[in-house]
Amino acid sequence: MEKNGKGFSMPKSSLKSTPSKDDSSQKSKEGRKVQFNNGGSPEERFDYSKSNGKSSSSADKGGRGNTANVKASKSKEKEPLELRLNQELLKNAKCLMDCEAAEIIQGIQDQMTLLSQDATIKLPVSFHKGLQYSQANARYTNTHSVRRVLDTLKKHGVVEGEISVIANACPESTEEVFALVPSLKSKKSILQEPLEVALMVIKPLRKVDSTSV
Amino acid sequence: MFFHIVLERNMQLHPRHFGRNLRDNLVSKLMKDVEGTCSGKHGFVVAITGIENVGKGLIRDGTGFVTFPVKYQCVVFRPFKGEILEAVVTMVNKMGFFAEAGPVQIFVSNHLIPDDMEFQSGDMPNYTTSDGSIKIQKDSEVRLKIIGTRVDATEIFCIGTIKDDFLGVINDPTA
Repeated sequence: MEKNGKGFSMPKSSLKSTPSKDDSSQKSKEGRKVQFNNGGSPEERFDYSKSNGKSSSSADKGGRGNTANVKASKSKEKEPLELRLNQELLKNAKCLMDCEAAEIIQGIQDQMTLLSQDATIKLPVSFHKGLQYSQANARYTNTHSVRRVLDTLKKHGVVEGEISVIANACPESTEEVFALVPSLKSKKSILQEPLEVALMVIKPLRKVDSTSV
Repeated sequence: MFFHIVLERNMQLHPRHFGRNLRDNLVSKLMKDVEGTCSGKHGFVVAITGIENVGKGLIRDGTGFVTFPVKYQCVVFRPFKGEILEAVVTMVNKMGFFAEAGPVQIFVSNHLIPDDMEFQSGDMPNYTTSDGSIKIQKDSEVRLKIIGTRVDATEIFCIGTIKDDFLGVINDPTA
């Protein structure tokens, strides 16, 4: 078609534009710097040596601890996700509550005392520490009931890691749960009621601690 | 926290262990090699709970050793950032305190201890509130949050805080 009687038409290409405009847009793109926070940085850069009681070296660590505090507050948004993200690292792993772990490890110790014909098999230090820790924190009389009750929260989007933290912490109220597990705060409205019910059900299952005030 | 996980390992066995006790020898070697170790990915292997599968052995060229791929179930302890733990204090100094939760060591810097708690030196160094109502000393039980983990080849070391809500001393041994 002839337009304007000129006998030709200027092809308009989306790729072509006036050079000056191009440069300026490129320059503005070059000028933009997108910064990403390196989430893992402060903790990975810590260089704590093993149980060091020396004040001179730990003075440096105190200083680093300060910056970590500032950075930790800035990366708080990422911290709540850590429990969820790290679940992907242990994909085939089943998260255990401390009471469940105590039962399993105690069972293994009982087996070892029965079957230990080989004197060279000695249970390592981490076994005893793990057993001691799990037994100290095994606060429920009926592990299976607690597991069944807390698993009902899964349909509201609570992951296994969060369920284990809730079980291990023995919270008194839903407020405590949301304070200890910040990743659940986004679902507070959905979780409030089922969590209250679950806590009410597992409260009587707690072992009575004679040392508590 | 504790996890129940299936891991795989290639076990090398010397021909002197072959015979009808081959499997038992393989399992006991696995337990000696693996239990008590720590890896960055899986944490501390606390105990092996069972053997899932023992694959076919392959004879290594040049030596008589045979490699068996073994799949086993085990309980591991791996701390995570954001996790709430109850730990027992092992040492207190002016920089903070060290605590132990199972096989894991956790350090809480004095910057991550509430500001109203001050360090008191002496025979039993401790952190005490101004009114003396709350004390953190050796053997105290504290609830803390892990804010960072450092993974070594054989060890996991954590940094914790007690400066948030619902954290702090649970049990005072002197009470």
